[in-house]
Amino acid sequence: MATVALIGNPNTGKSSLFNALCGGQARVGNYPGVTVEHKTGRMRLGSTSHKSIELVDLPGTYSLSARSADEAVSVEVLSGEMPGLARPDAVIVILDATNLERNLYLLSQVLELGLPTLVALNMWDRLESEGIAIDPKSLSHSLGVPVVCTSASKRMGVADLQSALGELLESAESSQSAREQHQPASLASTSFPEPFRRCVDELALWFDSQGCRLPRFQIERLLIDDSQAHSYRVIPKVLTSEVTERISQAREQLASEGVAIPLFETRARYAWIKQRVAGVIERKPRERRASLSDQIDRWLTHRWFGLLFFVVLMFLIFQSITWFASWPMDGIEFATQWIGQRIESMMAPGPLRSLLVDGIIAGVGSVLVFLPQIAILFFFIAILEDSGYMSRAAFMMDKFMSILGMSGKSFLPLMSSFACAIPGIMATRTIENRRDRMVTILIAPLMSCSARWPVYVLMVSAFVPNRSVMGGWIGAQGAVLFAMMALGALVSIPVAWLLQRFVFPGEPSTFIMELSSYKWPSLRVVLMRVWERVLAFLARAGSLILVTSVLIWAAAYFPGDHGPLDIATAKLEAEQAIPDADPEKQQALETQINQLKSEMISQSYLGTAGDWIEPIVRPLGWDGKIGVAVLASFPAREVIVATLGTIYSLGAGQDENSQGLAAQLRSATWPDGRPVYTLATACSIMVFFALCAQCVSTLVTIRRETNSWRWPIFSFVYMTALAYAGAWIVFNLMSFW
Amino acid sequence: MSIPRPTNAVPVEYLAPEAEGLVVDLCGEEKNVHRLEELGIRCGCKIRMLSPGEPCLLAIEGKKMCLRLGASAGILVHPLTP
Repeated sequence: MATVALIGNPNTGKSSLFNALCGGQARVGNYPGVTVEHKTGRMRLGSTSHKSIELVDLPGTYSLSARSADEAVSVEVLSGEMPGLARPDAVIVILDATNLERNLYLLSQVLELGLPTLVALNMWDRLESEGIAIDPKSLSHSLGVPVVCTSASKRMGVADLQSALGELLESAESSQSAREQHQPASLASTSFPEPFRRCVDELALWFDSQGCRLPRFQIERLLIDDSQAHSYRVIPKVLTSEVTERISQAREQLASEGVAIPLFETRARYAWIKQRVAGVIERKPRERRASLSDQIDRWLTHRWFGLLFFVVLMFLIFQSITWFASWPMDGIEFATQWIGQRIESMMAPGPLRSLLVDGIIAGVGSVLVFLPQIAILFFFIAILEDSGYMSRAAFMMDKFMSILGMSGKSFLPLMSSFACAIPGIMATRTIENRRDRMVTILIAPLMSCSARWPVYVLMVSAFVPNRSVMGGWIGAQGAVLFAMMALGALVSIPVAWLLQRFVFPGEPSTFIMELSSYKWPSLRVVLMRVWERVLAFLARAGSLILVTSVLIWAAAYFPGDHGPLDIATAKLEAEQAIPDADPEKQQALETQINQLKSEMISQSYLGTAGDWIEPIVRPLGWDGKIGVAVLASFPAREVIVATLGTIYSLGAGQDENSQGLAAQLRSATWPDGRPVYTLATACSIMVFFALCAQCVSTLVTIRRETNSWRWPIFSFVYMTALAYAGAWIVFNLMSFW
Repeated sequence: MSIPRPTNAVPVEYLAPEAEGLVVDLCGEEKNVHRLEELGIRCGCKIRMLSPGEPCLLAIEGKKMCLRLGASAGILVHPLTP
């Protein structure tokens, strides 16, 4: 099977073309940085020997001079350095036909890698309206590589591209030397200044003498790029200091000979581009008209209106989530309770029934209830991304982010973190500045991800009055939910400032970002993204949350003799089955069961752990059960709902068991009869969850992205301390108030 | 197209909304200038100011680009429209 890489500038429709070729498995976005690591898909070519092809979708990049982590992925894949992925047999370079010259810059570098190359001239359908005419045959002749005109969003030219790719692969395979066969007409590097080429020759000889053979393109990059760039990572560590010294000497020599590094490169490449497009492209003079995108941008990027629009939009999204989700949530809650009751009616009381009903169904079911909200949240985020609005929001937020020493580029990863911190942290790969990237990674887990939703919604629905304020326009529950979602973002402001000031001091970063045109979001893309996240949520509920639920159930069930409780439960159920049962007898049995349940849970391992932990969490207004549930939720924060579901299902009175978790929480009391949960306790729990780093997957992602355990440990410590302090302040303020 | 001499040039931030300019010089740290050129902002290209300020929103050869360069780099343009 052949491997083919797909590369191009950001916003050239690369992911759309990938989907068109592979049948639609990759996520497509309308803002820079959707593809931050390579994605692979399978495509079939009917009429050639290469029937099945592995297509690798690379992150969008403007050049192979990799400065950011996502650009480095493209270079690693193309040069065959990516572990587990063979060097591609061919490359498809996708060019935006409406901005040909700039896009040819990347092609000029790709051609020097010596791989069989095919050009997809995308957005072909827009040329006429832009007043541009391109002769693809002449362009192909001038570049020395095949050129196919495509319009990926309309699936135009996709079959031609597949056919051209088949031919390219066949001819490359049949040729003795694919590199010679597919060498383009000319390379931009041949016009580099003579002293530079001589330096590259000398360095190549030196690398050979050290037993480290590097391709010429890579040696050129070493000379041109600064020491932070990806090209330096390929040098064996034993040679690093000597290479750095030799490069430094070579640069001094070149400077003395009038070669301005790195600027000569761009000038030489654009000169090459100018020659290649001469007589190929024609621009007709046309009257400038404001496009629909321009007209929308006049408002949405307006200094004040744009900001107001953003805040109102976010508020409306969070309000509408609470409105739309209530009905399906009730449905899921009813279904889980119905299943629990069916099992109870079919099985005699005992450990297995308790495990199924109180452990698995109460635990996993209480988390599944929040699936509608998470799906609706992702639906809105996908619409904002696919429409092109997100990059405008980044532009709007840059002014504010620059006050913190960061840039608008940090905004997109942070916004993604509202859905889930893991893709948010991965999206920081688009940030070139290391300092900005580190600060963004460290504050991203403060954004209120979807895993916090179950905690917020449970507490808000149980303890915040369901009434409207401001003339009925704003629901109190929705407003508190919005405040909780905003809390992490607000706290991240001073945290970012402190990190920039004391942990990563340096010069303020610059901000350069291309904005794509607005488009109607594709329903298919939006639904696919929602589906991906729903599946991920269900997989988590079926694995980590299920296991935790069973463990918590075991800790709350054992040790203890449940015989008397099972006998009393069986008697009550038998009594309830009699049509003319004695209500007093039933009442007596219920009282006995409640007493036994309370005794069993206080004697259990969980009860003992609760006694231990209570002094630590008491200042936050929590009892031992909440303390244990919070402790159990450190691997994944949504586990708290499952844990509370299990604890209260095991310890709940018979009448509460059928009313759902919220009712069970409301009726929980301290030994002196005071309610455990008040509005202050609920807010204290929510603030703790808003600020705490309770997600092992996020910490592992930080480790992977920073290549050090230091930063996940730092995140965990500072966020846990912040969460405890925040919860304490809120509980005491609200209790006082 | 002949590029006007830099003596007529003004920083791109000076362009009024909807005003156009021709890039005549890029200045600042070489690595930042190199990056701007890779992004297609180079001498001879036409720029239209869409939204001034920091960051500003520009249309460069028909593509929208937002920029905040601070002291690290500068784009000098020759205004084409009053």
